[in-house]
Amino acid sequence: MFSKILIANRGEIAVRIIRACREMGISTVAVYSKADKDALHVRMADESYCIGGPQVSDSYLNIAAILEVAALSGAQAIHPGYGLLSENAKFAALCKKCNIEFIGPSAEMIERLGDKDEARKTMRAAGVPVTPGSDIIEDIDEARKKAEEIGFPLLVKARSGGGGRGIRRVDRIEDFDNAFLSAKAEAKSAFGDGAVYMEKFLCPVKHVEMQLLSDKFGNVVCLGERECSVQRKNQKLIEESPSPAITPEIRKRMMEAAAKAAKAVGYENAGTVEFLLDKDKNFYFMEMNTRLQVEHAVTEMVVGIDIVQWQIRIASGAKLTVTQDRVFLHGNAIECRINAEDADHDYRPSCGRIGFVHIPGGPNVRFDTAIYQDYDIPPYYDSMIGKLIVQARSRELAIRKMKMALSELTINGIKHNRDLHIDILSDPDFVSGEYTTSFMEERAKRKEKSE
Amino acid sequence: MNTSDIFNFLKPKNELENQGDTLAAQNQPFIPDELWVKCPVCKKPVLSSDLNENFKVCPSCGYHFRIGARQRIEITADKDSFEEFDADMTSVNIIDFPDYTRKLKNAKLNSGENESVITGKAKIGGCEVVLAVMNSQFMMGSMGTVTGEKITRAFEYATEHKLPVIIFTVSGGARMQEGILSLMQMAKTSAAAKLHSDAGLLYITVLTDPTTGGVTASFAMEGDIILSEPKALIAFAGPRVIEQTIRQKLPKDFQSAEFLLEKGFVDKVVPRSKMKDTLTSLLILHGSVPEKTEEKEGDSQ
Repeated sequence: MFSKILIANRGEIAVRIIRACREMGISTVAVYSKADKDALHVRMADESYCIGGPQVSDSYLNIAAILEVAALSGAQAIHPGYGLLSENAKFAALCKKCNIEFIGPSAEMIERLGDKDEARKTMRAAGVPVTPGSDIIEDIDEARKKAEEIGFPLLVKARSGGGGRGIRRVDRIEDFDNAFLSAKAEAKSAFGDGAVYMEKFLCPVKHVEMQLLSDKFGNVVCLGERECSVQRKNQKLIEESPSPAITPEIRKRMMEAAAKAAKAVGYENAGTVEFLLDKDKNFYFMEMNTRLQVEHAVTEMVVGIDIVQWQIRIASGAKLTVTQDRVFLHGNAIECRINAEDADHDYRPSCGRIGFVHIPGGPNVRFDTAIYQDYDIPPYYDSMIGKLIVQARSRELAIRKMKMALSELTINGIKHNRDLHIDILSDPDFVSGEYTTSFMEERAKRKEKSE
Repeated sequence: MNTSDIFNFLKPKNELENQGDTLAAQNQPFIPDELWVKCPVCKKPVLSSDLNENFKVCPSCGYHFRIGARQRIEITADKDSFEEFDADMTSVNIIDFPDYTRKLKNAKLNSGENESVITGKAKIGGCEVVLAVMNSQFMMGSMGTVTGEKITRAFEYATEHKLPVIIFTVSGGARMQEGILSLMQMAKTSAAAKLHSDAGLLYITVLTDPTTGGVTASFAMEGDIILSEPKALIAFAGPRVIEQTIRQKLPKDFQSAEFLLEKGFVDKVVPRSKMKDTLTSLLILHGSVPEKTEEKEGDSQ
């Protein structure tokens, strides 16, 4: 087991990882930017080092400084958290060069699964259902013929794409040529790679993902699904497990598909396979995330396993003692992401000094956060300031408990989305479990109409 | 706000979890020296691999690190197109200068080369040229008899075969250890350059950091077109000598490539990443006909 780990992150996830280490008796090293000198994760770690200015590029993405701190402090491993350097293949490779264990999959794995077209091909070859579509096609006439086969509406997507760029939706064959050429041009200019493939546009659709853990010995265990369809501008707001749309039969097939996917690429450590579920309950592989996710806590609450601690154990070379036959989803868990934003003014971020704080409690109520009373929220980082998670014996009871906990949550001095969450939890579409990824958009339209 | 008073965190007295006997416990982080390079100008650390991919130019501030002659040829000439001339020519201690023999031996060992200039013919952008690249790693690129002879022969070959000449210069000046014979090379190379010019052929010099002394005072400044890398020091006498002689403070950036550009001694300052394309354009403009090669690199524009 590692005697010392460096946490290359900040905020609530840095606190989460440090807590896992403190339980395991592992010494912790924190890194922080000048804007984070009063941050909770800095106070909690055994050692902390300032690595640069407030901008992430100067500090939390400053690979040279982070590796230097690791060498200086003697940290044997680095946990990258989520975001930041967690899916940076170059960083993972450099850690290896410096004899530091990167807590996650290998650099090759990160790079491989980051290529969306290659990921689709790999999954398809492994027998994992993939969104109907095509591979990379260069010739426009060939592509048009294939598009007719796939059917409309469809998406033309860039292989190296991200951030919504290099994607065009095509509703009719007449619009195809234009969309194909402009998607290629945008991709070439934004990513230096104009290769595009096509996917049938599924709508309405639910976003359901599977949590995986694999060790270095080829053992893979699937910890069940999370539904994350409540999203605003592709940012998740509420996640729950199990998904209200999944029957035990579908769950079994999806878990098998996810485990097959992991084995097909020889995956190591924690990962999440994202699927799209269409209205006929068919599921399709969308992409695989090669890191710990924000919403990992939801799975922890229903399965009763500490995923972060297992990430550390796996990285240190331990064997997974959790076996698939012992994985059960107990009851239901829901997570609400608390963001420091003004829901009444187009969700613009709210920062500044936090006044009085009261954190809800009680049985199976969990709040993961890095804020505290009188803390100054720095304006340089993302607006999520906490995650509220509850677990209960049924979905109905979980919703009750979440409403209870949200009603108690007090964070004064800044604007946050607590009230928005309470509102969503009372929405009939959410309560019925039939909500899709269009939920927030539809809700906004309804509100506009009624005003 | 001082938070260390508020938080009363203790370190939990938990023994290190022992999940069997794993190698992880023995690992110690170790950063190999070659992994990073510190930019001497902006002081930011650069990954060695990033630096090499960027033509050895600092990605943060654009500082041009010095590069060796072989690396220069690799990034300038078309792949596998360079054919070396006179590779085995080496210097001898002609005037019996003290310690010169030992210095020559060390220079060869340290630089891995036989002399301070590498000459040959190559293709640049498909255009055939005679290419000479000086090497700062061999006795600071100083010009001795062999250096002068190799450059002269390069010019003569080019004149005979009607080829343009491109010379990358870097030098501390004439090689002191060969006395007046080194100075003679200034005249010799200039004569060869003149005959090449009389034949109506193109001669381009690329001045790199630092180009000084007898090299500046001869063939380096005789190009039809004189290019330079950004911020290169281009001088005859060094700044300190000049300051002491005229007893005046020198203007800022005196003897930099940009200063010379302003005064008309340099025709264009070209960043290293654009040098090959610039040379190719100039060659084509002056009548070179690029040969189409099988391997076409997509979209280098």
